[in-house]
Amino acid sequence: MSPLDRRTFLTRSLITAGAGAVGVGVGTSASDASAKRPSATEQAHSVLSDELATRIPFDGAHQSGVLTPAQDHMTMLALDSIAPNGAVLFEGLQALSAQARRLMHGDPVGVTEVDDPPPDSGILGAYDAPDALTVTVAFGAALFDDRYGLGHLRPKRLVEMPNFPNDNIDPTRSGGDVLVQVCANHRDTVIHTVREILRATAGKLVVRWTLDGFQSAARGPTPRSNKRNLFAFRDGTANPDVTDAVLMNRLIWVQPGSGEPRWATSGTYQVVRTIRMHVEFWDRVGMLEQEQMIGRYRVSGAPLGGDGEFEDPDYPSDPDGRRIKLDAHIRLANPRTPTTANQRILRRGYNYHRGVDEAGDLDDGLLFIAFNQDPDRQFATIQTRLTPEPMVDYITPVGGGYFFAPPGTSGPPDWVGSGLAAT
Amino acid sequence: MATFVPRFPLQRMRPTQRSGKGRLALAALAALAALVALVAVGALVAVALVGSALSPAGLFGGSRPFSVHRLVAQANPSDPLGVRITRVYGTTTPAKIYGTEIGQQEDQGINRSGQMISDLSPLAPAAFRGPVSAYKRYAAGWLVRVSHETAVLGAALRAGNRAAAESAWRDTWSAYLHLGAVYGLFGSLDQEIDGMPGGVPGGTSSPHFSGLHRIEMGLWTGQPPHSLVRWSNLLAVDVAQLRRVLPGVQITPLVYATRSHEILEDAQRDLLSGMDVPWSGEGVLGTAAGLVATDEVVRTLRPLLGGRDNTLVEVQNELLLLSSALAKVRREHHGTWPTLAELSITQRELVDGTLAGALGALEQLPGSLEAAALPEIPNIPAGQ
Repeated sequence: MSPLDRRTFLTRSLITAGAGAVGVGVGTSASDASAKRPSATEQAHSVLSDELATRIPFDGAHQSGVLTPAQDHMTMLALDSIAPNGAVLFEGLQALSAQARRLMHGDPVGVTEVDDPPPDSGILGAYDAPDALTVTVAFGAALFDDRYGLGHLRPKRLVEMPNFPNDNIDPTRSGGDVLVQVCANHRDTVIHTVREILRATAGKLVVRWTLDGFQSAARGPTPRSNKRNLFAFRDGTANPDVTDAVLMNRLIWVQPGSGEPRWATSGTYQVVRTIRMHVEFWDRVGMLEQEQMIGRYRVSGAPLGGDGEFEDPDYPSDPDGRRIKLDAHIRLANPRTPTTANQRILRRGYNYHRGVDEAGDLDDGLLFIAFNQDPDRQFATIQTRLTPEPMVDYITPVGGGYFFAPPGTSGPPDWVGSGLAAT
Repeated sequence: MATFVPRFPLQRMRPTQRSGKGRLALAALAALAALVALVAVGALVAVALVGSALSPAGLFGGSRPFSVHRLVAQANPSDPLGVRITRVYGTTTPAKIYGTEIGQQEDQGINRSGQMISDLSPLAPAAFRGPVSAYKRYAAGWLVRVSHETAVLGAALRAGNRAAAESAWRDTWSAYLHLGAVYGLFGSLDQEIDGMPGGVPGGTSSPHFSGLHRIEMGLWTGQPPHSLVRWSNLLAVDVAQLRRVLPGVQITPLVYATRSHEILEDAQRDLLSGMDVPWSGEGVLGTAAGLVATDEVVRTLRPLLGGRDNTLVEVQNELLLLSSALAKVRREHHGTWPTLAELSITQRELVDGTLAGALGALEQLPGSLEAAALPEIPNIPAGQ
């Protein structure tokens, strides 16, 4: 992502939307507006921080929000379709993409007749700043049931999420026809986006479950240092390099000739797991035991016996687990062997906090999000390998699902999932 | 329904200071006073301070008596005490650096090499034989009870008497939970007896979902009691098998020490949250059983905890408070255990909060009961 050039941005906004300010008549020409004193909208633009002005394109070969560095705030929105037929479903999906494209671009809030409801909730002010917003759309296996005749187009590996050992999945917090991942630099942008998306898709898509997430602050010691999860350990250290296009084609993006439906090429499978972390339990565990369960030092994130977060744990020199136990999380998750190299996944998780449970314990956890090319080969293999890890006593997966994020869009009026209608 | 009898004396024990530093200072003063008195009479003696909460044995780790050997009177103006400690029993650390090392251990939990260490000397693994044997006798007794209650449950199901079956289910489940956190000890038997559907392919509709919670689901969701007889029959087989394997079960010191706080940890996470009692809501009943089991485990460990921090007193104090809280709630429900839904907000807060306090004390047990020195973590070889 890159900060928008504010001067260019301001000019374009004025041209595309007229003055746009509340109290200025619709239809005011750009030349008229430019001759006037700065409007409220212009003034708002001029004070946009780089964060607010950062724009990430909606259109592209792949959807954004996959390789995009995780913004600070997120809401995961799982929707069920109530559309009576495929045509209405597609209308809903088109509206979803159109709204996402508009909000990610950032536009002045339009003006309507005073006796009409305003076209935007307005909670971001006169201008919907892009704020590095990404809206990533994915489909669940349920969408390919017999309601819409899409069964023959179901991505080959898209199934309902298996019930893994130690899972305690709540049906009301899992599954869904359509998954919408909304991420931005600020919480209000995310909330605004969710509100506008639900408004645009009303009558066709309804909320099944939702969860808000946040990133820990970047507290160093280096800009590259990964942020911490709510067990206080750094998360994502071993993620594959997203700037390596070849590697992404090997691990993340569905490739032509892989047996998948043609429309799915360049898409990716999205695994979502709401993992409750029993933080009170964790806080009662000795530091050494915590570190041995993970396999890393808590403060530095270095593998045990090492100095730096990104140091190779060098498992071949530790075959008996004297340094890093054989059932440590990092060792089971990524054994770093040639045969497990193609099992790696791209994690893009968020912390969550949703109050307390009935026993007064914090309902905190990780909204685990992983992108991978083949969930059987990658996520499920890793998850199965993690079954015996000691950390299972301190976590409980309670929700989520398997989804497929289709390829990106070519520009208006294209929409995410249009391949379903074209096939 | 199982009878709940608080095992603790109904008086609140004196809260004591948890920090080792305060005790260290007091002990130092006491030791200093003793030494000055001895020097004053010019005696060459050996001083043994044994046992009490202020004794160095209680502070410096190890359950063995702490002795200062051969206090040599010296006419040295720079050493007004005029004594020289040449050897400290119970440690291989040279006397001249013993105080420094202990200070580091007390204050920072690191040794002279900068590695994390415990501030207590490990207990001998053999010291756990007695407590584990005592626990097994206790568990065997409760398994007899589980067997009996399982038979009662089966009879009620066969008779088609739902109310009687629900009552028998409570008694059976409660009796089983009196064993304490048994997961992992008995192989798959615990899963088969008390397992939840999570992780079982097919979940609640899976034929592999069996045991007490399968019966719970059936009873509280209106399934015909007769349809549950097969599950009670299977349960009886599993319980009988458990009785056979219990004597031979190996319980390591680490496992046993850990169980002492995990029983109520599980009660908090799984029972009072409602997670493991989604149909009956009997989380308070299960917690009460867990408290009894915890009390028993702690009771067996008492001989090992003497002089090891102040853990035992703090644990007993908090367990007493929890016992009193549960008893109060039970009284307020006319001598029965309320379901989670029947708890008032005040009762809920009392139980949740008191349990959290108990867990804050119990968390010290594994550290106080270490039976092995903390491992030294090798460095990753250079050049990686």
